[in-house]
Amino acid sequence: MLIQLKGGRVIDPANNRDSVGDVYLKNGRVVAAPEGREPDEVHDVSGKIVMAGAIDVHSHIAGTNVTLGRQLMPELPLIAASEGQPYGPSPAVWGSYATGIRYAEMGYTTVIEPAMIPTHAIQAHKEMAAIPIIDCAGLVVLGNDDYTLNLLRKGDVKSDELKDYVAWTLAHSKALGLKVINAGGSEAFKFNARTFDLDEQVPEYGVTSRGIVEAMQQAIADLGVPHPPHVHTNNLGIAGNVDTAVATLKATGGHPIHLAHIQFYGYGKEGDKGFSSGAPALMEAINKHKKATVDVGQVMFGQTITISGDVLRQFDGRRAANPKKWVINQAEGNGTGVVPYNYKKKSFVNALQWAIGLEIFLLAEDPWRVLFSTDHPNGALFTRYPEIFHLLMDKNERSRWFDALPEASRQVSGLAGISREITLSELAIMTRAAPAKVLGLTDRGHLAPGAVADVAVYTEQKNKTKMFSAADLVFKSGKLVVRKGTVVDLSWGQCYHVDPGFDRQIEKRVRSYYETYYGADPSWFGVTETVSDRPDRFATIRCAS
Amino acid sequence: MDSTLQRAADLLAQARFPVFGGLFTDVDGATAALALAQKLGGVVDHAASEGTSRAARVMRETGSTPASFGEVRNRADTVVLIGDGPRERDADLLEKLFPAKNLPRPGDNKRELIVVGTKKGKTPAGIRTTEIGGKNPLPELVALLGAATREMPFETRDAALGKKVLSAGQRLRDSAFVVFVYDPAELEEPVMHTVLETVRYLVKTTRASTLAMSAPGNGDGVNLCSIWTCALPVRTSFAGEIPENNMWAFETERLLKSGEADALVWIDALDGAEVAPPTRAFRGVPSIVLSSKPVKAGRDDVVIEVGAAAADHDAALYLPPIAGIGVVKAKSAKSDKPTVADVLNKIGTLIDEKGAA
Repeated sequence: MLIQLKGGRVIDPANNRDSVGDVYLKNGRVVAAPEGREPDEVHDVSGKIVMAGAIDVHSHIAGTNVTLGRQLMPELPLIAASEGQPYGPSPAVWGSYATGIRYAEMGYTTVIEPAMIPTHAIQAHKEMAAIPIIDCAGLVVLGNDDYTLNLLRKGDVKSDELKDYVAWTLAHSKALGLKVINAGGSEAFKFNARTFDLDEQVPEYGVTSRGIVEAMQQAIADLGVPHPPHVHTNNLGIAGNVDTAVATLKATGGHPIHLAHIQFYGYGKEGDKGFSSGAPALMEAINKHKKATVDVGQVMFGQTITISGDVLRQFDGRRAANPKKWVINQAEGNGTGVVPYNYKKKSFVNALQWAIGLEIFLLAEDPWRVLFSTDHPNGALFTRYPEIFHLLMDKNERSRWFDALPEASRQVSGLAGISREITLSELAIMTRAAPAKVLGLTDRGHLAPGAVADVAVYTEQKNKTKMFSAADLVFKSGKLVVRKGTVVDLSWGQCYHVDPGFDRQIEKRVRSYYETYYGADPSWFGVTETVSDRPDRFATIRCAS
Repeated sequence: MDSTLQRAADLLAQARFPVFGGLFTDVDGATAALALAQKLGGVVDHAASEGTSRAARVMRETGSTPASFGEVRNRADTVVLIGDGPRERDADLLEKLFPAKNLPRPGDNKRELIVVGTKKGKTPAGIRTTEIGGKNPLPELVALLGAATREMPFETRDAALGKKVLSAGQRLRDSAFVVFVYDPAELEEPVMHTVLETVRYLVKTTRASTLAMSAPGNGDGVNLCSIWTCALPVRTSFAGEIPENNMWAFETERLLKSGEADALVWIDALDGAEVAPPTRAFRGVPSIVLSSKPVKAGRDDVVIEVGAAAADHDAALYLPPIAGIGVVKAKSAKSDKPTVADVLNKIGTLIDEKGAA
């Protein structure tokens, strides 16, 4: 069937397009304007904005950590709603079903779960397969597991064993890429460390955090995996940690790196309270390091819950739990920390965190390298995205919020001095084109012929919160799934992964290792096509090598 | 088979408040049961959910501090075994927790075992073991150990026990990684709270955790599936506007006895495990029984033979060694028996078709 979206303002920065025109969809793909054929279905979108479906590069939507969060705080969506926070179509917004529905209503069509634990990959995939409409992918976590650290303990890895192990893990868990969380820090926590810096050594293993990140970058580069290591670096949430983030960027050498939720690393320690905005220094470094991409992890005020494989950080953060309950899960690799948190407008620190995130967005010279995220649910629930778009695109709205912050926070924030307003085209880059490019998902995030027919149509209005809360139309793979902000057709997306080759010897080594130390067979947690009952669930993204 | 499925669909379509019980099935079976319960406004419960429900409530109230089986096996220097439940659930538990070879451990202590309130049983060779027992009830023993660990004053008439508990408390404070192992089905909530508070006291200076034994019949796998579906564990009702979890109100047997439930779907289809049906399951309440074993059913019940998960078909189940969901391959090369998921999904489709007609 040929579908025509007629007469809208098409904003497609990947193809330098921002003009009124038509978009054609056929057999699940965007196609060129056909000659001599009438469309089967025409949608008059004149006066409306047409963009590719949005892509979230970093949102915790599935897997062990998320499930622990749901267990600890099933009441979260109800509390959020009572505070006036928008939430999903049902109080089960924490559930997989509601996650897909709400994302689709906002015009999102692809979401990446950035922390899939290798031994629990089957659960993560089953959860993702229960999320309707959107396409998904998972990044698998390595860097704190004994197998990796044991290889690195031997000094420089002369054989290809680490590369093979990384490739095996990616393939075994059907992951799109690799996530490194506080490299070595979670393992150091097991030896009772309470802090861990870039050049500290992991007890018993000798290797430093810097060494682990470098080794993972090299392995990913050698394997030709499109998405660079997605790195959650050391000292998250600590005053003065902007130095750690800048040092990590400097340490990356010539390899690409993606730094996750950098708002949580944008902290200086100036001022009477020892806490200040490090955003200018951080953005200066990011603007310089052309091979670095980041997502922001914007904070919004209100109740949420923080969930992270950075168990060391979360252990420290348990003291700020609100409500006062928390989970520390000690497990293979990273473990998990789950700590509820309520970001308060009246809090000096929280107000500054909110402002720092916005500063980061607004100081970005290149929106292609500064991607949108709240690190859902850590900075804010993903249901808050439209409010944040509004703040970025409307300086008056920003001032309205800023003026209500505590005086002490306003005095040390540079936000009031920034008049920039993010344009629709820049927003399309941060939420569509750039995530697709960074993830290596070349068939989405744009509207050129051949792209997957994921399209979102919005009514342009001054109130950007309203505009982006409910898309007029959303097409997923060419099928109309949302009309006037409401889901009209439940479809099921695909899951993307890489499948780099490796020397099969690694399978024997890993099997022997798991049998000896865990009494487990790695085939138990290997993800196969049958993890979902839909035969076309998986699609492979090609590696460069 | 088609007419049997149609009878089941007719029965469920008429039900006002059906309960999906037993649930000895794999994750796909649980997924299908949850979908049908949501469609019909029914309840999901698991036959072994007494323990998991208690643990879930403690979790919601105050949190938890779990360790994976692999972490305990490799890293713990002191294991505290509470009650008889853990060894009843897994007779080889201690051998698995004290293997000959393990990964680097924190601290310099030799590994030790402390058993609290258990019957005499085999303990691992070469591992120093302290037994804290006597006639005192288990909750009291756990409370004594908690007090001794926190250096709080306590009194006990049994002087020898008191001395032993004090010594054990000292050992816990001196340990690098203490793990308390228990079965939630055996411990009441206040006892779980005592253990949790002891862990939270210890972690101020060192590492400490808990290892809860998994529920039989893939109880933990079914529970996880329920949580990612609606954020709530089993014993949840979908009858109202929002899902509601209540460990007393939505227990299968109670719902049947009280007459609140007017239909039962009973599922018993897991290799190596079987579950006794509720006493009134086949008397007075219209029932649909999905079983991989021979069933004595009432005249009006609908009985559907299904394959046993992990025997007749591959099955995603909660596997304690990986502390998560893994896949166990089928024992039989080929089986034509339908899975629980196949049957429930078909019943759901038939109900939809009937509604649409």
